[in-house]
Amino acid sequence: MANSTTANRSAPRRIVRRAWNDLLSIYYANTPIWRWFKSGGLLVFGFFCWSAASLLLSYRPDWTFLHYVMAYGFALIVWGPLTHFVIVPLAIRLRRTAEHPAARFFARNVSKINLSVFVVIVIVLAVVQFSPMMLDFGGAFESDSGSEVTADLECEQTDDLITCQLTSTEGVDRIEVTSGDREVAIVDDPGGPFEIRVDALEEVVGQKQYSVALYDEDGNRVGVFRRSAR
Amino acid sequence: MAHRFDVLGLFDNEYDEDGFRMCGITGLNVHRSVENHVKLFGLTALVYLIIGGIFAITVATTRWEAIGLLDATDYYIHLSMHAWSMLLFWIVFMEVGILYVGGPMVLGRRLPLTKFAKLGYLTMVAGTITVYYSIWTTSAPDQAPLLTAYIPLPSAPLFYGGALLFVLGVVVASLPFFVALWNEKRENKGESLPLVTFGAFITSIIAVEALLGGVVAFAGGLLWRLEILQFDPAAYRMWFWIVGHGTQQINLVAMIVVWYFLTHVVGGAEVVSEKVSRTAFVLYLFFINMGAAHHLLVDPGISTGWRIWNTSYAFYGATLASLIHAFAIPAGIEAGRRKRGKGGGLFGWLTSAPWRNPAFSAPILAIILFGFLGGITGVLMGQLQLNMAWHNTFATVGHFHSTVVLGTTITFMGLIYFLIRTMFMRQFISTKLASAQPFLYGGAMGITALMMMYVGILYGVPRRTPEVVENIPRAGYEFSLDAATPLFAVFGIFAVIAIIGGALFIALAVLSVLFGERIEPGGDWDLVADGGTKSAGTKIAQSRESLEMADDPDDPVHAYEMRGTFVLCLIFLTAFVITYILNWYLITQLWSIGA
Repeated sequence: MANSTTANRSAPRRIVRRAWNDLLSIYYANTPIWRWFKSGGLLVFGFFCWSAASLLLSYRPDWTFLHYVMAYGFALIVWGPLTHFVIVPLAIRLRRTAEHPAARFFARNVSKINLSVFVVIVIVLAVVQFSPMMLDFGGAFESDSGSEVTADLECEQTDDLITCQLTSTEGVDRIEVTSGDREVAIVDDPGGPFEIRVDALEEVVGQKQYSVALYDEDGNRVGVFRRSAR
Repeated sequence: MAHRFDVLGLFDNEYDEDGFRMCGITGLNVHRSVENHVKLFGLTALVYLIIGGIFAITVATTRWEAIGLLDATDYYIHLSMHAWSMLLFWIVFMEVGILYVGGPMVLGRRLPLTKFAKLGYLTMVAGTITVYYSIWTTSAPDQAPLLTAYIPLPSAPLFYGGALLFVLGVVVASLPFFVALWNEKRENKGESLPLVTFGAFITSIIAVEALLGGVVAFAGGLLWRLEILQFDPAAYRMWFWIVGHGTQQINLVAMIVVWYFLTHVVGGAEVVSEKVSRTAFVLYLFFINMGAAHHLLVDPGISTGWRIWNTSYAFYGATLASLIHAFAIPAGIEAGRRKRGKGGGLFGWLTSAPWRNPAFSAPILAIILFGFLGGITGVLMGQLQLNMAWHNTFATVGHFHSTVVLGTTITFMGLIYFLIRTMFMRQFISTKLASAQPFLYGGAMGITALMMMYVGILYGVPRRTPEVVENIPRAGYEFSLDAATPLFAVFGIFAVIAIIGGALFIALAVLSVLFGERIEPGGDWDLVADGGTKSAGTKIAQSRESLEMADDPDDPVHAYEMRGTFVLCLIFLTAFVITYILNWYLITQLWSIGA
């Protein structure tokens, strides 16, 4: 009878029915390797959805539907492995062993409950936009070590003398000029121009190079420029 | 009988009076000369993996700026040590061993010109020591070379000399492989080579091209550094990438040879179509070298026609070959396992496979991770237009960690697990840890590589520099890399986990070789899929005979369905198309097309 019923269905319905049954059998497959496959696959898929949606959102902040894709991917990273490593095996075990009516009801419906919780989490995350999901960790990662140096270095060479000056001295306390292993100059007043003698520079394969390193008042290097003499 | 120098008993298998023994797993007639040289190159490769792994710790914990272990100068030296150890020394020593396996061992021959093999080995080792010394003692005005050593960035003359020595050593060490093939073809005229040998031969041809490029680049670099001749930087880059990327193409082809070999031996795979697989190898021969061109796409002085030919037309020949292998190998596993009655349902052939055997799980993980992360991104960034968004960002580093680490290194780890069981004849000191290690390492490294690609593409975080979030000047600019901090945290955590996974592999490999329980002939039946065959009450592992388990061993492999592989390929192609469209969409946004 079942075969004749199946045969009577139209081809698209048969395909959809078979795909649905395949999906269910994969959802409930509970051997260790299937748990690994599903958990690993959903973790990677979650990462993909989260990162791709975040990427697109940075170009198209007005596409609000991306918040939902992002939330789905972000939640899936945890919920996929949780579902297939913990919830589905527990549900299957509970269906076999539960005796209390409430436990049996719970065992029968645990997948629906699990999916409902997951959907609610996704919607809440998409609407409220939890900070780490949006890659905005704000204060948690804030540090004062970031440099505020915006200076550029301008140098001019006349014969065997190079004259340099910083365009801005904000955040710069000291300048060190080196060539090869040699220290060529130390400038404690970064505001004014400083000079470098070309014959003090080391030559490597026909090029005389020098480095100008900028240090802040704590002695941290906050910038470096490499230049060549003519 | 062990050699008097073999105090650890690593080279003491029993051979007949002609020096041959029958391998219980592969059914191959293995000669002592081949086996001992494969062991030698394999063990040496492991040493370089250890060195590269140590520098992975310092590099990763520097790039993770929350720790910021090293300053900029030291970082570049450590990065150079890491790159040369991993990208060249670990992998190339393994590849020479693979040539000996794919050639004389599969053909059942002895290794000819063993003195050349030893000379090549010693030259390669001398080259590596010289390169290490020159990088480690780098001081201004010389610069640490990283892998690229671009002229006119000056590196120590010893570096160019060491690199040249290493390349020449590889050429010498490869000669016995070619001579073995020459002898085989002279003795068996008209017979085709086995698929694995054929793949190894294609690998060796690509290797010759790469090594010749290396000789020109490094010899030229040395002469330039000694100020004997001028070397045009643009020309240097072209010659360099023949070896720089060419060696990675050798990895790719060698890796695929190992995939065919291991999935057949330990997974019960059949070759679905020899002709199609061989054609794919030939496509590699002609087109895979085009991949090197993507390094030159932003260089001046190269015509648009050259760029488009190399990266948007000819390059697809190699892509087609990869797609063929991406279908042929899982299809071979599916058909082979279904033939043995191990393939219920859509994916039963896959779920019933010997996942606890690291010699199987490692190459399969490598196929999956390489395909999804390394292969797709390789095609993307090998394309003229998309390359502009990827070039010199951290995403490129994510790409080549997906190919070279998630693909090649995990595959070679699987091969070393196989060698420990079949050549060193040792049990693993912990079967459970050996089963878990590929998953731990592959999973953690996969997320590490994803984070690299993500911060590169999303924030344009550059490669090769230790500090971008903390110290890049921000005020006055419209962009900030601060937002990359949380992703760098994920990167750092998983990089450390991956390093732990790599250390676990090294511990398992070294301790198993030294202290693993000795396997007597016939005692390694569990290495073959489904336990091999039973004969006279004793299990004997001979994968070549294991078709006896099939209902009808004479059935052609095409008689078995491969719908599981078809579904997997559809998933792969969907991911490919989505990623492709996404990248193209982003680049249209960058260029404001249609705006």
